[in-house]
Amino acid sequence: MSHTNDAIPPGWNYNPATWGERLPIVGLALLGLAIATYLGLFQLKIVPTVWEPFFGNDSKKILTSGVSQILPIPDALLGALGYAADATAGIIGGTRRWRTMPWIVILFGVMVGPLGMISVLLVVVQPVLYDAWCTLCLASAVISVVMIGPAMDEMLASLQYLKRVKEANESLWKAFWGYKEVQGKII
Amino acid sequence: MWAQIINALLGIWLMASPAVFGFADDRTISNNAHIVGPVIASFGIIACWEATRVVRYYNLLPGAWLLLTPWVLGYDTTTAIVNDLVIGAAVIGLSLVKGKVSGTYGGGWSAIWKKDSLHATEARRQPRV
Repeated sequence: MSHTNDAIPPGWNYNPATWGERLPIVGLALLGLAIATYLGLFQLKIVPTVWEPFFGNDSKKILTSGVSQILPIPDALLGALGYAADATAGIIGGTRRWRTMPWIVILFGVMVGPLGMISVLLVVVQPVLYDAWCTLCLASAVISVVMIGPAMDEMLASLQYLKRVKEANESLWKAFWGYKEVQGKII
Repeated sequence: MWAQIINALLGIWLMASPAVFGFADDRTISNNAHIVGPVIASFGIIACWEATRVVRYYNLLPGAWLLLTPWVLGYDTTTAIVNDLVIGAAVIGLSLVKGKVSGTYGGGWSAIWKKDSLHATEARRQPRV
């Protein structure tokens, strides 16, 4: 194993924070953002109709349902905000960010996880409460679940780094925010 | 990885099965399929990646639940009973398949709380930067 490249976490055979690892996730988030924005615009009645190739009138039924309007903002727009936040957190930071800025990596991980879980919950709600399916909602859910796996390796590298910081009795707080004084001491 | 892909497909099949077999009108059977199906599919998809392969074990619970549902929920349709039992058994079996893990991950998730795991010992051997 090569020790010359300090971008690879110790005990790993690759760096989970390279652009090759991160950009596909950002791409998925942008695709999700496009779908959710489109659905949100329909919910705001800016777009008059919604694309639904398989389930007839079901998409409209779901997108205008009570659950979709529990909150002051339509649920698809909240999803769009989630995707935008995921894409942003995926872009910020260089290829050593798992140790130079653990806060963004961990924020990225905890945003991708719940967004996916909420999507799955909404997939369950569609047939159980409304006896209907919405193709684009399902597509969005698949995207957000697919994003979880590849986002987690980077978070694992950051959490292991913070564990080494703790073992070395350095400040977890400073390491989390990427203070240079801690970075110099811990690999 | 293939085992987890099959589990994801089994979850999707479970979601679709009430409509395919025509017992969508039985709310008990179809609601159960529509709740458990997406859960199995999600865990299957997440477990496809090596760093999160451990998530495959999360499917043991919905798999075991499917082996019990015909009796707990009182199914009276043979197709639905067989469907749930076969999917449940298959999901349990496939979630025990680890598959190929070629990468090293510094000792994995347990290395976050365990002492002297791979990432810690490797870091000690490396020169300070």
